[in-house]
Amino acid sequence: MSIVDVIDRAKSEGRAVLTEIESKQILEEAGIATASARLAHTAEEAVKAASEFGYPVVLKIVSPDVTHKSDVGGVKLDLESAEAVTAAFQEITKAVKGQQPDARIDGVAVQKMARPGIEVIVGMSKDPQFGPVLMFGLGGILVEVLKDVAFRIVPLEPRDAHQMIREIKGFPVLEGFRGQDPADVEALEKLLLKVSAFAEAHPEIEELDLNPVFAYKDGVLAVDARVVVG
Amino acid sequence: MARAAETRSDLPSRARQQRLDRAFNPRTVAVVGDKRAIAYMWLRSMSTFQGKVYSVQIDPNEIPGIEALGVPNYPSLMDIPDEIDYVVCAVPRQVSPRIVADCIEKGVGAVTLFTSGFAETGTEEGIRLQEEITDLARAGGLLLIGPNCMGIYNRRLGVRNSWEQATGEGGNVGLISQSGTHCINFSLVGERHGIRCSKAVSFGNAVVLDAADYLEYLAEDDETEIIGMYLEGAKDNRRLFRALRETTRKKPVVMWKGGVTEAGARAIYSHTAALATAPAVWDAAMRQAGVVQTESLDETIDAVKALVYCVPGNGYRVGLVAMTGGQSVVITDAFEREGLEVPLLSEGSYEKLSEFFNIIGGSYQNPLDSGGTIGMGFLPQNLQKLLDILDEDENVDGIVMEVGIGFLARRMRENPGILDALLDTLAAHRKRSRKPLIAIAHPGHLEDVTAMVRSRLLERNIPPFGSFEAGAKALRRAIDYWRFREGMA
Repeated sequence: MSIVDVIDRAKSEGRAVLTEIESKQILEEAGIATASARLAHTAEEAVKAASEFGYPVVLKIVSPDVTHKSDVGGVKLDLESAEAVTAAFQEITKAVKGQQPDARIDGVAVQKMARPGIEVIVGMSKDPQFGPVLMFGLGGILVEVLKDVAFRIVPLEPRDAHQMIREIKGFPVLEGFRGQDPADVEALEKLLLKVSAFAEAHPEIEELDLNPVFAYKDGVLAVDARVVVG
Repeated sequence: MARAAETRSDLPSRARQQRLDRAFNPRTVAVVGDKRAIAYMWLRSMSTFQGKVYSVQIDPNEIPGIEALGVPNYPSLMDIPDEIDYVVCAVPRQVSPRIVADCIEKGVGAVTLFTSGFAETGTEEGIRLQEEITDLARAGGLLLIGPNCMGIYNRRLGVRNSWEQATGEGGNVGLISQSGTHCINFSLVGERHGIRCSKAVSFGNAVVLDAADYLEYLAEDDETEIIGMYLEGAKDNRRLFRALRETTRKKPVVMWKGGVTEAGARAIYSHTAALATAPAVWDAAMRQAGVVQTESLDETIDAVKALVYCVPGNGYRVGLVAMTGGQSVVITDAFEREGLEVPLLSEGSYEKLSEFFNIIGGSYQNPLDSGGTIGMGFLPQNLQKLLDILDEDENVDGIVMEVGIGFLARRMRENPGILDALLDTLAAHRKRSRKPLIAIAHPGHLEDVTAMVRSRLLERNIPPFGSFEAGAKALRRAIDYWRFREGMA
């Protein structure tokens, strides 16, 4: 499905927030590398998807009504076998139904478990004064606590991507810290420019979080994504 | 503040530039509605104007006072037997639509509406009147400055928005201010710090012309080399951002932002939107555009002063010349706090210093605790040696010289000519050196002496600052702009 189709379908269903699967589909179309995810409606489908991706895999609840998946037991990591996947599928759906009985559940997303990297966030939102604004930050899911972020107005020039990454306090972590591999900063810069171009090309996108993005020494991967349309 | 649907005048950009040129460099000025109750402030402000000033006033009680000022008075703009380039309108708000219509009929370059009581009052009447004059001005292609503002100051031509402003030679610093007070204060305080305005404008409610318009104009104005701004907000921030980016390619912009931008309430679903607060985004936009940000009038003046008077430099390492041990400690703190480095000098520099530096009651690491060595500035040969060493040292990008006002005043009592020796040495160094140099003239207990020394230093293109902290802030900001111009991170 093309970007336009995915967005149109969501809008026709009265949804502003796209699912993780839909968000990643759109981003892949835009040339942004994500940990692609497949939607499974049953445990059997989940196992099938897992064997195609290769183990270990991650299962995550897909529901337009669940904002923080881990908070409601909606995420299971590091699943090494079909049995583990089947069990995880049951546990997730049971946990989410227990915590949020009224949540509409589309299914469970299956994706290959990404190897660990430095967690960063790349996002876009529309500022009422300046229009589309890009954000980069350290901390992935901790970013709202650490607030170690930098912003730039879309469209970004290469210099802007270069500078905003270096503006964050945690930049030394990206350079490699205590024996940890440095992050591929050039790939992060390219990602920022791609997201900037994507935002410019699609004014119907109101907000976007790539969170976390894992930064490796040889590339970057958006592990989770949320796109909001307007 | 009510928002007009658009802020751009309906004239295309080149026509607007030409019309603004006519307003900023008028041959003729008309003041409409000046009166005794405001001490004829506008006619007095225009008394220094090199071109022709006319008055328009129909109140018979006011006319004798106006004529006593030597200004010809007419019952309307149309009656003036001359083209009018720039109008200042001070009539009550109910009358302003009439004057705006007259300006259109007369074909003036631009009109400043000093008149207030419009949308800024939040009243129905004020909002309605503002819409009326806005619609009139747009339909008639009239450049309307304001309302609720003080309009234009052109130093060279003697067009003023306060009768205390200096006139004569044109300066090189432009100013764009949403507030009349800050426009005027910048011009007045600036003069005491060697800053002379080219053109300044206080633009108020910005119903037709907004900050971006003036910025685009001053960006193209050859007389203006540096632009200061005071802004509380703009209606079209994207346009402002673009204009800032274009302008900073050629000239530094120093921006003092007042107030907190309102953020409208809206539904948000992402971490990004939650973190993208209005102040964070404003700050990002300014950095991205290479704008120097300041937080007060003094900081604005200091940053402009450094940009006007220093040789540009792109390095953060400073060589510090202080007069005593105590000052050596705190000068280092002040500059390090601003992210500037106080490095060790090169081996060669230390060898040269060891030959003459007085280490009894002094030291040289960087900072150079130099009071004993240079006689508080009055052993010119040693001062020159010191400055030469710093100038040649590859570890040093910029030089800071403490000028101790107390010591200087004491010495001058014994030997009045001694100040010249110090100043000549500094001036000669300034002429030769390719590194930015600033002076810190303090402490502040002898204000007359400080003012005198300050003006003598400025004559020699050395900017003095009132404290280490102020100097460090200004220098850091100026360096960041010069680095931005060179494409450096």
